[in-house]
Amino acid sequence: MPVPDRDLETPGGSDIESLELDPNGILRLVWARGVSIDGSGAQLAMDRVNELCEGRQLPLLIDMATTNSVSRPARAVFSQRCDASAIALLGSSPVDRVIANFFLGVHTAPVPTKFFTSQDEAVNWLMSQADARE
Amino acid sequence: MLASNDDGRRLEQLVAGIVVLSSGDLSNRMEISPARDGIDAVTTGINLLAEELQSMYDSLEIRVEERTALLEDAKTDLRRVINTDELTGLASRSLLRETISHAILAAEQSGKPPALILMDLDSFRLINDSLGNAAGDTVLVEVARRLKSAAGEQHLVARLSGDEFAVLVLGCEPEDVLQLAARLLSGIEAKIQAGGIAVTVTAGTGVRFGETGLRSDELIRDANIALHEAKKQGPDKMQVFTQAMHETAKERVHLVTEVRAALAAGEFELHYQPIIDLRTGRLAGAEALIRWRHPRRGLLAPDSFLPAAEEGGLTVEIGRWVLDHAIAQAGSWRTAPGLPANFRIHVNLSAVELHHSDLARYVQGLLAEYGVAPEQVAIEITETAIMSGGPEVSRTMEALNGLGIPLEIDDFGTGYSSISYLRTLPALHAKIDKSLIDGLVEDSQQENFVAAILQLIHSAGLGAVAEGIEHQAQAEKLRDLDCEFGQGYFFSRPLAVADMTAVLAAGGLAGIASFAGAGGREGRGRHVARAQT
Repeated sequence: MPVPDRDLETPGGSDIESLELDPNGILRLVWARGVSIDGSGAQLAMDRVNELCEGRQLPLLIDMATTNSVSRPARAVFSQRCDASAIALLGSSPVDRVIANFFLGVHTAPVPTKFFTSQDEAVNWLMSQADARE
Repeated sequence: MLASNDDGRRLEQLVAGIVVLSSGDLSNRMEISPARDGIDAVTTGINLLAEELQSMYDSLEIRVEERTALLEDAKTDLRRVINTDELTGLASRSLLRETISHAILAAEQSGKPPALILMDLDSFRLINDSLGNAAGDTVLVEVARRLKSAAGEQHLVARLSGDEFAVLVLGCEPEDVLQLAARLLSGIEAKIQAGGIAVTVTAGTGVRFGETGLRSDELIRDANIALHEAKKQGPDKMQVFTQAMHETAKERVHLVTEVRAALAAGEFELHYQPIIDLRTGRLAGAEALIRWRHPRRGLLAPDSFLPAAEEGGLTVEIGRWVLDHAIAQAGSWRTAPGLPANFRIHVNLSAVELHHSDLARYVQGLLAEYGVAPEQVAIEITETAIMSGGPEVSRTMEALNGLGIPLEIDDFGTGYSSISYLRTLPALHAKIDKSLIDGLVEDSQQENFVAAILQLIHSAGLGAVAEGIEHQAQAEKLRDLDCEFGQGYFFSRPLAVADMTAVLAAGGLAGIASFAGAGGREGRGRHVARAQT
């Protein structure tokens, strides 16, 4: 699902490149290229994730490659509990690694959260997390 | 691997960014390049750390602000407590001081310096002692209410201590200050219901008019001096400060310091006035009298320095000094030239000393130290000290009497003795004051009066000593009236140690033996009763 039209006008609305549920039952959130995520953008993404979950607990894969920065208020939003059952942060560059690990180090994530540079590994981990819960 | 030129530039930018951050500008953020390589990762990390640090600083600032606000609130509460007298709700001493300082500063503009009225309730202790502290508090609260009502909103009314109040008078001429003081006094006149009875309250009042250039502490000091003067004059008196009062107060303070120094420097000495047995003309004792050999003013009598010593809290110290030196002297004379039979050194003790429960033990120690028998010392206590002393004084008198030291009621007939009490006192003699001896010869009525007093003393089982005898006729009259002992200028002035030693060595005062003649009767009073046992 691309960004809904209604979000384009709201603050942070254009930060999300896409958000969809894949055939494996994994929610995939892709941030826009070069995005600087602030508090409102983070909150919007969180709201949309919860909407798609429709009350279910679903694994979430966040593609954060090319993310420019994640502000402190945004990190605070991500540390609140949402409907995601586990979160895999997918990046590729050393910058992604620093951003992800800073989040993981400074905040206590509400659900199992891990950084990956390989999409396959990320998906496998999310699936294993889902299996473990069952 | 060598860094490319581009990497070098980016590293320089990174260093520059760090320099800005370290200068304290934590809002600085560094751009990362599309390369998102290691340099960008470091840059991102530093950006993130800077943001964390800034956030911590910001939250710390907020906490400091919150704490500061809490502290300010606590300070305000504390100030309210400090500035208010808990019992009466009036201003406290500290608020009065603060307000005086402000008023003096303001007077530099207005030209109307503040005046101060101090009031001290008369005999308030009596209310507390007789009706209890709760009744005392009721009186204080009511007095405070009345003073506040009489002073009005314009002036600050404060309670300084137990029963002392102050009114800071702002923007008034002297005439208005006096009118206000009169209003305050009449305000507290009406009886106050406390402890189940109606209490009448009066106060001594000291007024200090405002004066340009007068400091805060001077205003308070001067009002206190005026209050002190008013209290000296008795109840319900008002005094306005004058410079003369200040000079007197300064002299008093100076004298207290001087007396303290004189005691340390050994400038006091004892003189001894012989006491004669009027029946035989023999030397019966000597009264030790303190003198101050002042380095500039010469030999000073006690009247000129004992009140200051009392004010300076030196009464007990001086009293002990007198006891020590008089008993030491008795010991010395006992060895050489020797003391006549029944001779006693008389020492005066003040009311304050009598309140010290260790006095008898102290005297006992001195007697032992100097090898003096208890009956060779007599202690004189004024009638007023005995009557107003209470149980502690009675206990001390019993203890001294228990040691075998004869006690003598001094200044008999000048206080307000209860005649029945006279019989129960553990005293041996009563000393008739000089004021009763004056006019004894010329005035037959006075003679009758003194005869009656002597009879009273004898009836109580006591012997009598007359002081202030200046003429032979007085001595003869007293002897004829059966007064046993006498002292005064007719016999001898108080003598320095060397002169008194000479008198003792000679076996008595020259020419006095001829005074004693027929008519003297022995065997009177407890004195003789004790001597016989």
